[in-house]
Amino acid sequence: MMEAMTDTEVRTFIEVTEYWVPEEGVLKLAGGNYGDLTEFKAASGQTSFAKGEGLPGMAWAEERPVVFKTLDPASFKRADAARAAGLTSAVAVPLFDGKALKAVLVVLCGDGEDRIGALEVWQSKDNLLMLEDGYYGAAKHFEFVSKHTHFPRGQGLPGAVWAANTPILMRDLGSSYGFVRSESAGQAGLTTGLGLPVPVPSGETFVLTLLSARGTPIARRFEIWDARAARVGKDGAAVLIDGICAREGRLWAAEAEEPRRAAAWQGLIGRVLGSGLPVVDQGVAGIAAGYENFVALPIHSKGEVSHIVAWYS
Amino acid sequence: MQKLVVIGAGMASGRVLEHLFEQAPDAYEVTLFNAEARGNYNRIMLSPVLSGEKSYAEIVTHDDDWYNGNKVTCRFGESVVGIDRARKVVIGENGEVAYDKLLIGTGSAPFIIPVPGKDLPGVISYRDLDDTNAMIEASSKGGSAVVIGGGLLGLEAAAGLAQRGMDVTVLHLMGHLMERQLDEAAGYLLRKDLEGRGITVKTQASTKAILGEDKAEAVLLDSGETLPADLVVMAVGIRPETRLANDAGLTVGRGIEVSAQMQTSDPDVYAVGECVEFDGQLFGLVAPLYDQAKVVAAALLGEDGAFVPKELSTKLKVTGCDLFSAGDFAEGEGREDIVFRDPARGVYKRLVIEDNRLIGAVMYGDTADGNWFFGLIKDGTDIEEMRDTLIFGPSYQGGAAADPLSAVAALPLDAEICGCNGICKGTIVSAIEGGATDLGAIKATTKASASCGTCTGLVEQVLQVTLGDDFQMPASQAICGCTDLSHEDVRRLIKSQELKSQAAVWQELGWSTPNGCHVCRPAVNYYLLADWPLEYQDDPQSRFINERKHANIQKDGTFSVVPRMFGGMTTPDELRAIADAADKYKVPTVHVTGGQRIDLLGVKGEDLPAIWADLNAAGMVSGHAYAKGLRTVKTCVGKDHCRFGTQDSTGLGIQLEKKLWGSWTPHKVKLAVSGCPRNCAEATCKDIGVVCVDSGYQIGVAGAAGMDVKETERLAEARTEQEAIDLATAFMQLYRENAKYLDRPYKWVAKVGLDWVKERVVDDLEERAALIARFELSQTIYRKDPWAEEAESKSEQYQPLADLTLEAAE
Repeated sequence: MMEAMTDTEVRTFIEVTEYWVPEEGVLKLAGGNYGDLTEFKAASGQTSFAKGEGLPGMAWAEERPVVFKTLDPASFKRADAARAAGLTSAVAVPLFDGKALKAVLVVLCGDGEDRIGALEVWQSKDNLLMLEDGYYGAAKHFEFVSKHTHFPRGQGLPGAVWAANTPILMRDLGSSYGFVRSESAGQAGLTTGLGLPVPVPSGETFVLTLLSARGTPIARRFEIWDARAARVGKDGAAVLIDGICAREGRLWAAEAEEPRRAAAWQGLIGRVLGSGLPVVDQGVAGIAAGYENFVALPIHSKGEVSHIVAWYS
Repeated sequence: MQKLVVIGAGMASGRVLEHLFEQAPDAYEVTLFNAEARGNYNRIMLSPVLSGEKSYAEIVTHDDDWYNGNKVTCRFGESVVGIDRARKVVIGENGEVAYDKLLIGTGSAPFIIPVPGKDLPGVISYRDLDDTNAMIEASSKGGSAVVIGGGLLGLEAAAGLAQRGMDVTVLHLMGHLMERQLDEAAGYLLRKDLEGRGITVKTQASTKAILGEDKAEAVLLDSGETLPADLVVMAVGIRPETRLANDAGLTVGRGIEVSAQMQTSDPDVYAVGECVEFDGQLFGLVAPLYDQAKVVAAALLGEDGAFVPKELSTKLKVTGCDLFSAGDFAEGEGREDIVFRDPARGVYKRLVIEDNRLIGAVMYGDTADGNWFFGLIKDGTDIEEMRDTLIFGPSYQGGAAADPLSAVAALPLDAEICGCNGICKGTIVSAIEGGATDLGAIKATTKASASCGTCTGLVEQVLQVTLGDDFQMPASQAICGCTDLSHEDVRRLIKSQELKSQAAVWQELGWSTPNGCHVCRPAVNYYLLADWPLEYQDDPQSRFINERKHANIQKDGTFSVVPRMFGGMTTPDELRAIADAADKYKVPTVHVTGGQRIDLLGVKGEDLPAIWADLNAAGMVSGHAYAKGLRTVKTCVGKDHCRFGTQDSTGLGIQLEKKLWGSWTPHKVKLAVSGCPRNCAEATCKDIGVVCVDSGYQIGVAGAAGMDVKETERLAEARTEQEAIDLATAFMQLYRENAKYLDRPYKWVAKVGLDWVKERVVDDLEERAALIARFELSQTIYRKDPWAEEAESKSEQYQPLADLTLEAAE
């Protein structure tokens, strides 16, 4: 049933995922998935970031997602440890609840000829979404095309996320995703795209897209949960509205099927719902379909967790 | 083993097979025909496939393994050409198959509107995967798409194509989108959402033709507008596919007629799904199809079962558009509405109650409780006990309603409250803290609300926010029971929030009724057409009968007809035409009015279009004697004839009337031009009166000679005719833009003050020019003779529906 992703043992596009939360005026590490990179993990545990300092501090201060395509010691505090671990680029995404910063998610990637994928930040300018910045690994042609593409509201994955103000998962990127990029997406082997709105205090529109390729997938399972009271009731639960899994196929509920539901603090999704914070974990019980790694992000809107996006590898 | 042949591998027949194999895997040997070259997939998920949010692989319901496992002989891609009931065989393109039982699940075919160009390449319907793939293929080239039909399917196609990068226009014949599932208010919010994603929506748009040489290139509308279209999607509806059943001699109405056991007129032939008609009903949504499937499976196994149609609910599969509708939400006698709106969140909920039972629900934006309401509708639950809190849903916990003051409380201190005098919120708050605790004191100390008065409501709200319970809001000046807002508030909000339709007003201003009432509708209709002449379309249903009929109804049910005589001037030809019309239509009374017009009284309703046509033919237009608009410009004969005359008063009167006629105003407007201060045209008691003097023209406004009698006040003195016309026009427009509906100019001027009017009309030349420009813009729409339009296009509406003369006592 699933053609979009195959379940073979390959390196994933993202090497490290971690999140930082504000505590006593600085950002402190609250969780992460470092794989084998124990030294980089240790270096991270000893670090904190003031507002404006380093990559997470910059995302906090500038209230927007930030992409570093090189890890320069002048701006990236852990540059030495990163170089030693083979990490070459990073993206930081601030998670705001209204004006309050809840956390900063940071993902780090390594270079390599075979690393195909995309982490993109889109920003609205003159009523169009323009590429603010992005990391594409070896997908250079797709990077070039993306830089010269813009999306009106409602068009393509970024435009659809903007218009619907909800995370959206798209399949078969080679034959969809706005007519402009589909061809080069197909050539680059990009198959599945997750787009999510990144609300910031200024009200400016940012959309983050994660485009996953078959060879070096960002994840093998993606989920979108809806937690808006206006959709799922006032009991503080979330329902799985869309998802795709290399092991289990489609995850959305067809007509006359009950969608999966998670109450606050019930399982890993419940932990995100209850705390309003990301969860990044590995090798723990409760990760669906036998996957090792789990990342889940809350999206805060109008004073509630409106959606949760999760990915598994 | 018995032989079962199934025609059509759709969702309904697929579900029959599932039930059958579950309960008795060895009961039948099954042959499945499908014209599409594939098996059963979840057709209702085609829209997400179109948008790219799902893949085809994900929506396959039965794959090859399933068919193999259940030993189904699949004849996919093969059409059935006939059914021979006498021999009990189904005739396929590649040969016959015998059956003991036959199940017809041929589904439905899209309805193609019979317009020229419908067969051009590039014109497609939206029913199956091939259509979906054709749309995906077409969208890969970009360009424009026109979707004909604003129902569920059409809108899902539109959203998907837009997401794929096409410029999409939706054409819908009716007044609002999805009119079968949504009321106007929800339709408005849906439209807003779709427009927010770049889709152009045109309602009341009728397709005349699809243009193009060897492929579709454009769509031509009845209005004459042409829309470029590389792709045209027809999604106007479906009709049951009954050809095979018909040819086989089964009983077919609109669909294949079936019993409650889903049996056709032949006991060995069953039918299921969109192709059937049961009890006069057709079925297009999936829930009843699944119910039917269960019954068919039972019948095939010789078990009892009966299909009972249930209430249906609707959801639209466009990510980010959250709507829900169920039951019957038409307005009707004995039905009550409960309406909840939250303009800030774009939420609308309406419940329809009859005999203490919920019979319909429409929701937009907040649909969490949809299924709960749906349950109440299906079960016919008595809701009397929970009526007051019903709309808040099952988990209502006594939460407070939205606070209308919160918006004012949230305004920063430097936000301007009184635009006329430039007073900001901070100044008012300081004045309140300094002891000004009512509106009068605020006016006296800050001048806020002391000029035009449109900000009075805001100033009072600042008082309320600042003083809390210590400030008593004055008694409600709401337009009517549908809203707490005053006329002034509504006018201000229509402008500032750019509300351009009635549905927008009801929703964004939180109306408590679905569509307003007889009090607020005429006012809102006027405000909208005055403020948005190009965008808003006048709604005749929101007008009083006289304006609807373009004639004054008399107490015996007949009408009066008054042709316009510009400046009170006429000609022998016109008089002859009037006399002829009076003879021809047996007009019993001919009267000369105080406004220098001839009134034909006692015209029968059904004669109106004909008498108008006759008068039109003689060069005359409607005198608007029935309208809240310009009535008459009365003149004296002026200096050409009168020895006291100082200027050409008739000439000026004619020019004024030619400029101003046809414009709608808050109340009627009467003008006069007198050639000298002797004032034979009685200009000094008109809404606008010009008195000519040797040095020029004295422009007076705000006179009255009705229940109140009042002399005009001097607005200005004009040196030239043009200046006089400009001043009158600018005054008219200021009145049109600012007065409360049904306030004559003298009442309005008393409220805003003549100085305020003068500042804009007389002193500020730029503002005067802008007022005139806006008036002219509006006149491009409204300076038209309604008689000519009505006589031509709608004469059948004037035919009597019943003999009302028998009820003349009313």
